[in-house]
Amino acid sequence: MSIAVSVKKLKKVYKGKIPFTAVDEISFDVQEGEILGLLGPNGSGKTTTIQMLLGTLTPSSGSIEYFGKDLAHHRSEILSSVSFASTYTSLPYILTVAENLDFYGRLYGMKGKEITQKADPLLERFGILEKKKQPVSSLSAGQITRLMLVKAFFTDPRVILLDEPTASLDPNIAMEVCDFLSDRREKTGISILFTSHKMDEVAELCDRTIFLKEGKIIADDLPENLAKSISTFRLRLTIGDGMKRTVAIAENQGLPYSIEHRSIQFSLDEKSIPPFLNALMQAGVAYTSIQVQEPSLEDYFLKLVEKKL
Amino acid sequence: MNIRRISGVFFRYFYVLKKGPQQLSDLFYWPLIDILLWGLTSVWIQTYAKTSDLSLILLTGLIFWQITWRGSVDVSISLLQEFWHRNLVNLFSTPLKLSEWMAGIILLCLCKLVITVSFGALAVYVLYSLNVFTVGWAFLPFAALLLMFGWSLGYIASSAIIYWGHQVEAIAWMIGFVFAPFSAVFYPVAILPGWAQSIAWCLPSTYIFEGMRIVLATGTFPIDYFWISFVLNIFLLGFAIMLFTTMFKKSRNKGLARLQ
Repeated sequence: MSIAVSVKKLKKVYKGKIPFTAVDEISFDVQEGEILGLLGPNGSGKTTTIQMLLGTLTPSSGSIEYFGKDLAHHRSEILSSVSFASTYTSLPYILTVAENLDFYGRLYGMKGKEITQKADPLLERFGILEKKKQPVSSLSAGQITRLMLVKAFFTDPRVILLDEPTASLDPNIAMEVCDFLSDRREKTGISILFTSHKMDEVAELCDRTIFLKEGKIIADDLPENLAKSISTFRLRLTIGDGMKRTVAIAENQGLPYSIEHRSIQFSLDEKSIPPFLNALMQAGVAYTSIQVQEPSLEDYFLKLVEKKL
Repeated sequence: MNIRRISGVFFRYFYVLKKGPQQLSDLFYWPLIDILLWGLTSVWIQTYAKTSDLSLILLTGLIFWQITWRGSVDVSISLLQEFWHRNLVNLFSTPLKLSEWMAGIILLCLCKLVITVSFGALAVYVLYSLNVFTVGWAFLPFAALLLMFGWSLGYIASSAIIYWGHQVEAIAWMIGFVFAPFSAVFYPVAILPGWAQSIAWCLPSTYIFEGMRIVLATGTFPIDYFWISFVLNIFLLGFAIMLFTTMFKKSRNKGLARLQ
């Protein structure tokens, strides 16, 4: 497998009275056919990185290469095989769906018939083919997001950058989009760089995940490995009798907990679960249901945000 | 009627008014421009104008000014449209080069101009029975030079817009009229005060409007005015394109996404 995108020591410093480093010498590669998740809390540098990868923001230092070519020197050539979609941008809303796709197709050197041939199947797949002659202003937010994805894919890119593409979509549509991305990767070998706040989606879709924090890469691993690095499990009990005793035991053992009606949830290490349940039993606490949740990528993210990593 | 709610509405727009000098343009800039333009025109008409072709001179000036105005506004509005539609990042993350974008805009400007001028001339003919093409073949080189001047103003305005964004978007409409009083659109340069005449003769547009009046009055084409205007236009357009390219680069340094 060869390298599609290579980022080396990429840095962005915003000058001002107090200079601010948004991205701090990050380096990573995206392999051909790989789906890479770029995650991190707000302000961690995800969007700044994507903007630099698109050439709409000039890096302070470092290099970006696509298929061995430097973006700074081969911008137009490189971007003819790179595409982008984001929930945070839109399209000219006075133009119809077809006019927008015609306009973007032309920017990628496509001709009228070719544009229709490539765009129509995608419009159908995303359920907006019947909207083709309607202005973008008449589309819902979810439909515009799907149109952005059509715009991103109908030019047959080799690399695609997606900035929270499912943020405004209903869960069933978001799932369809993820299936589409996965399917597209299988069929075309496209490389995808993906940012999202939906951790389950990232865990499901991405081959590899990079976590950014304060402009630096703090983790670069498989999603399951990152989740495993968190030892905290969630234990949820529905208490039949002995809520006060349960709380006292938790406080005695220094376990964080939250109560909701008759349920109580604890965060604790896997090894601490048996002795804790044993202590409850000895205190005569009766619980009617028990639920143990393994750490997920979301737990990793939450830990990151809480600055515990 | 609730006075508090009315005051709420009042302050909603009052706070906008306070946001910067461009918000104050409606209060000061446009009235000043109108006073200058129409005041000087009135002075000329009242004091000096003895010509029977007064209507033709004024209306030809108006049509000619439309060429500059449209050229300028079309360039900057095309850029602003990408801001309004949150499409700027989409646009410049494609293989599109800045030079290609600029060429596309200029091509569209030409098409729109042909329509605008034809419609304007027809309207003048139908409403006032005056033919603004009385200047004859001189219309073409004059129009071309005025269009170049308009594009220069458009790219200068766009240079500010691409860097500072929405907060200076009124400059798109304002910039043309800064030069209108000095360009002697409706009256001869001689009517301006001395210091203003010095500025006027530095502008490529002044030679066109003066030239237009010479053609209408004498029927001869002032070739020297044409060449001076041409050279000034080349310098100004070159400067405007360089400025826009530089400001675009500076803006990309800060990130185009911030402008949406």
